[in-house]
Amino acid sequence: MTAVRRRLSPYLLLGPGTIWLVFFFVVPLVYMVKLSLESGLVGNLEFNWHWKNYSDALSLYDTQFVRSLIYAGLATLFALVIAYPLAYTIAFKAGRWRNVLLFAVIAPFFTTYLIRTIAWETILSDQSPVTDVLKAMGLAPSGHVLATGGAVIAGLTYNFLPFMILPIYASLERIDERLIEAAKDLYSSATQSFLRVTLPLSAPGVVAGTLLTFIPAAGDYINAQFLGSADNQMIGNVIQALYLKQSDYPAAAALSFVLMAAIMVMVLLYIRFAGSEALMGEEAR
Amino acid sequence: MRSSEKGTGRASLLAATAVAAIAVALGLVACGSSGGGIEGGGSDEAETVKLEKKASGSLTISNWPLYIDEKTVPDFEKATGISVNYIEDVNENDGFFAKMQPLLAKGESGGRSIFVVTDWMAAKMRELGYLQNLDKSALPNVEKNLLESLRHPTFDQEREFSVPWQTGMGGLIVRTDLAPEIKSICDLFDSKYKGKVDFLSEVIETVPLVMACEGINPDEASEDQWMKTINRIKEATEEGQIRRFTGNDYARDLTSGDVVAVIGWSGDAVQLQADNPNIKFRMPTEGCSLWSDNMVIPVGAPNPTAAEAWMNYVYDPKNQAQIAEYVNYITPVEGVKEVFEKEGQDELVKNPLIFPTEEFTKKCFTQPKISAEELQNVTRAFNSVVNG
Repeated sequence: MTAVRRRLSPYLLLGPGTIWLVFFFVVPLVYMVKLSLESGLVGNLEFNWHWKNYSDALSLYDTQFVRSLIYAGLATLFALVIAYPLAYTIAFKAGRWRNVLLFAVIAPFFTTYLIRTIAWETILSDQSPVTDVLKAMGLAPSGHVLATGGAVIAGLTYNFLPFMILPIYASLERIDERLIEAAKDLYSSATQSFLRVTLPLSAPGVVAGTLLTFIPAAGDYINAQFLGSADNQMIGNVIQALYLKQSDYPAAAALSFVLMAAIMVMVLLYIRFAGSEALMGEEAR
Repeated sequence: MRSSEKGTGRASLLAATAVAAIAVALGLVACGSSGGGIEGGGSDEAETVKLEKKASGSLTISNWPLYIDEKTVPDFEKATGISVNYIEDVNENDGFFAKMQPLLAKGESGGRSIFVVTDWMAAKMRELGYLQNLDKSALPNVEKNLLESLRHPTFDQEREFSVPWQTGMGGLIVRTDLAPEIKSICDLFDSKYKGKVDFLSEVIETVPLVMACEGINPDEASEDQWMKTINRIKEATEEGQIRRFTGNDYARDLTSGDVVAVIGWSGDAVQLQADNPNIKFRMPTEGCSLWSDNMVIPVGAPNPTAAEAWMNYVYDPKNQAQIAEYVNYITPVEGVKEVFEKEGQDELVKNPLIFPTEEFTKKCFTQPKISAEELQNVTRAFNSVVNG
């Protein structure tokens, strides 16, 4: 009896999660694969191994594809540059302000994503003081900021910043400060102890943060829709238009898979390069 | 030994789970696809609704948000004893279509008896065989009071399957303080306004208006002419002439002054004007596009008798006046003006955007009829401009 129960228990424990994944991930995914190989007009779609949907996806929308990856990459980079010092300050220097600062990082989440992006539309509008300042600094060569690629990247950076800050903060906060003291005892300078102790120990946070920022940013379409012009649309906008405006479900499904595959390959390469132990933390070592 | 046993145990567990998952998924997909085929679609001859003697029971209506006052539904319920489930889930034609299509393909309407969709979408649904014809014997008010100008639209010459809910115009909305000279769609291509104009992201609104500027009659346009017009819009986009393609969020760009003119809808202009008197709807010199949102009865609709009772009810001028006063579009019902005049609502009566004179709209055109396949092609071309 107990032996049977012991053998069954992992299945039972996995059960709820598995059922969830099957119904809300595997089933839709298989359905999408099938859809992506159909052809014809909506209402008369026919499953006929129409691989051309995939080659079309790549040849017709390569511009938006590359653009999405560049925008998402730049947004991730900017987010990292902004987030690391901030997370560092919150973890080590904030003292009693720590919780207040953490709350400030999370506070924007109390408003929906959509509203925050639309607010940026107002902040960056042609008559706003922010735009005047940027113009004076020569950062708006086209005479306006809204409806440019810069605005889209700024929006992406802003919207995904907390996903960068929180993992980095979490990994910094876990660092045993005695290690840093030990480095100093061994005559390392502040820079050296940062580069050799703090930075490597916070790598899991950096890797997690960049993934949590890059993956959703690459598929995002809200920022491009509200802050960009026709020349700044991302792959998410194309998929949205294919699905909701053109009712071309097979093309939309094929493009989604191409995007998924591209991101998966990039993430795998990145993890390989960054080391899976960095992602999983010390436990995997 | 122990550890390897544990290892194979875990691997086989994972493998078993994966196999089970894929099996279940394939099974479900197979079930799902059998109903998603072509049955129920594609027929040219639509069935006419079958009515009962007396309307009763309940009625579910899908309409756009903010498209009715608060009193009409309860008044109708009181007058007829029919209970109404009024849902505002049509935010855009395409999105609503995407949501309903899998059901409609199976001959189901998701419990809805009435949809309200724009002309071209009604045409598309009809072409796919998703709509039923109306029984006009239960619609005396519609027969009597529907505006003459709306009786024979190109997509439904005899109003066999659609009854207008409200009507409006697509044309220019201009900041008269910033660009007083813009009078035509062609003016939007003037380099003076580079980066200062928005176009609608709906192919069926924007392209015919630009066709009018090109001197093409949208109703007779060939696919080639559609493509040529789209190409002109594409060039303007690449030169930076057009700032963005929007839905009615052009309102924010106009209010902030980021753009000086847009292709937009008359009903929005009525509301924007109330906040900023410098924002005005301008009838383009080329004419405007006239569209209607139409009540249609989908296949598989429960209780069509109650649905037609509703259509008939809102075509009583008194009942319609209540709706028209709230929504500020063009009412499709004759006699509403007289109701307003009696009530002393002079401002509404005099507003040409709510009661346009024949003179005002004489050059306007209804949305062109276009086959589903052509629509797919031009939409693809247009979206490749919108999503540059």
